[in-house]
Amino acid sequence: MKGLTYGAVTRDILRPLFKPSAAYFGLLGLCIAMLAVGGYAFLYQLRWGLGVAGYQPPVFWGVYITTFVFWVGIGHAGTLISAVLFLFRSKWRTGVYRASEAMTIFAVMSAALFPAIHVGRAWNAYWLFPYPNQRQLWQNFKSPLMWDVFAVSSYFTVSTIFFYIGLIPDIAAVRDRTSGMIKKLYSAMALGWRGTDRQWRHYMAAYGFFAAFATPLVLSVHSVVSWDFAMAQTAGWHSTLFPPYFVGGAIFSGCAMVITLLLPMSVAFKWQDYINVWHFEHLAKMCMLTGFILTYAYGMEHYIAWYSDNPYEWGIFVDRATGQYDWVFWTMVLCNCTIPLLWWIPALRRNYISLFLISIVINIGMWFERYNIIASSLAHQFDPMSWTYYTPTWVEMAIMVGSFGWFGMWFVMFMKVMPSVAVAEIKELIRPPLKSDEKVAAK
Amino acid sequence: MSNIIYVPPTPGAVKSVFPHLDCLIEAIDQLKKAGYTNFSVTSPLPRHEIEEQIYEGRPSPVRWFTLFGALFGGSSGFLVTSLTHANWPMIIPAGKPLVSVPAFIVLTFEATILFGSFFTLFGLLYHCRLPANDLQIELQDPRFSDDVFGLVVNGLGAADSKKVHHILRDAGAAEVSGMEDDEHA
Repeated sequence: MKGLTYGAVTRDILRPLFKPSAAYFGLLGLCIAMLAVGGYAFLYQLRWGLGVAGYQPPVFWGVYITTFVFWVGIGHAGTLISAVLFLFRSKWRTGVYRASEAMTIFAVMSAALFPAIHVGRAWNAYWLFPYPNQRQLWQNFKSPLMWDVFAVSSYFTVSTIFFYIGLIPDIAAVRDRTSGMIKKLYSAMALGWRGTDRQWRHYMAAYGFFAAFATPLVLSVHSVVSWDFAMAQTAGWHSTLFPPYFVGGAIFSGCAMVITLLLPMSVAFKWQDYINVWHFEHLAKMCMLTGFILTYAYGMEHYIAWYSDNPYEWGIFVDRATGQYDWVFWTMVLCNCTIPLLWWIPALRRNYISLFLISIVINIGMWFERYNIIASSLAHQFDPMSWTYYTPTWVEMAIMVGSFGWFGMWFVMFMKVMPSVAVAEIKELIRPPLKSDEKVAAK
Repeated sequence: MSNIIYVPPTPGAVKSVFPHLDCLIEAIDQLKKAGYTNFSVTSPLPRHEIEEQIYEGRPSPVRWFTLFGALFGGSSGFLVTSLTHANWPMIIPAGKPLVSVPAFIVLTFEATILFGSFFTLFGLLYHCRLPANDLQIELQDPRFSDDVFGLVVNGLGAADSKKVHHILRDAGAAEVSGMEDDEHA
């Protein structure tokens, strides 16, 4: 950050706003096209019913729940980086936290689509929330699925508040550098922020409290998601290992997604002063740590299944590695446990190409991890007579592709309308302009 | 609109611009020593030196909103889950309790966080007086969100104005305007 001034930071970070290139429109168009594919498949499912998904007894959770868990997991890194690392006063977070937070919000928005899609009659999805009704019927709050509704919606709400509060000073900076209708729009969004001593005083106090609230949420949300599985007495799911295993996996995939998204962005926007190899190396190290936790969890769940001497539990784990779903299992192991080991070579975790490629591999692996957990356990449930092999249909795959389009569309639009790097916080990393420094330099 | 429509300066206000943080801190110190406490500082980033100089370590009252919101959320989370189950009592086998603390603790936790955040947000907006579009014109300088610090002293008489101009210039203000030079009068 040496040599940077406050004015240069404002100019550099706000420079890419409102100037979309042809490549930008191409990217946005691709995302919208993917979303249209998913939208068509969803309408097709609404027309013909849930039968067009590949569900067959006893498998009634498939790609939709896999993708739901995948997106909730992606949504973890943003708040981890913005809240947890804020409390630890970690300096490398500053360059990457804004875009990571945006990623979190859009990932949870993507995840939120899937319960409604999965229940089939999407128009009744509001039954998930408690509301006064004529028959005084209430949800079963002892069900982990209800816990999940509240965990994910609370996480989304708190993350969005945290994100918006963080944005206010930067929106004010954009407001002061625009004119006309755009200025009016940003003036409304900045809520009249002027950066007065009074405002900053309460802002910093509140920001700390938001970070303190968001921190346990990071750990709790995926723990609650894991209970969707662990509370069921399905072999392969009913394990106390699941919460830390899921949280570790979520941070692993989330940090990888941050690398996937921010690396091209930092190059395209020429933000080397603000997001560079130093930040990506830290993210890679986060992936290495959580990747090890995940590898340990994979090993431990197999070990405990063997050690339990429960033939049904052990049978599922043997089947995962050697049965019909072995290709899913070994893809997961290859992508999550083996290939990321390359980052132990310092040159590879400082190389943009390897960082980008391995981060994509991790995200593929993490999608397969959830598929491995869901499909293999359900396909071989209690009664061997009902065992089956679940294969997703084109409708499910198209909706999954559509969710990537939905996520991408929001993220790409965000890049052009909001500062993707926190202007005010970057300025905090720079030595403030001091008269005493100028006097020393003059001597 | 302020760049199209002329907005007159606030009566009794002196505005100064500081490119250097240490000069700003010195100016705040000198103003306080001279007995002028009705002022606002604006900066493009939070600086603890400014807060320390003005508020002398007094914590923000937002924390009480946070505490109340978390307590309200936690208790209402537990009450909603318990009362709704009590409202439709089912006979549960194996002697399982109708009001189950381990099961309801999840929603209690979520509600604690959710309402704690809502109340913190409300406390923040209330104490920052946001949303606002009526902050005095002297504070609405676009440079204050970019690379300089602003200090606006309010409630001054003609004699005070001169003294304040001196203090601000001596401390190292790059620009001092309002009242004394009376440029908009």
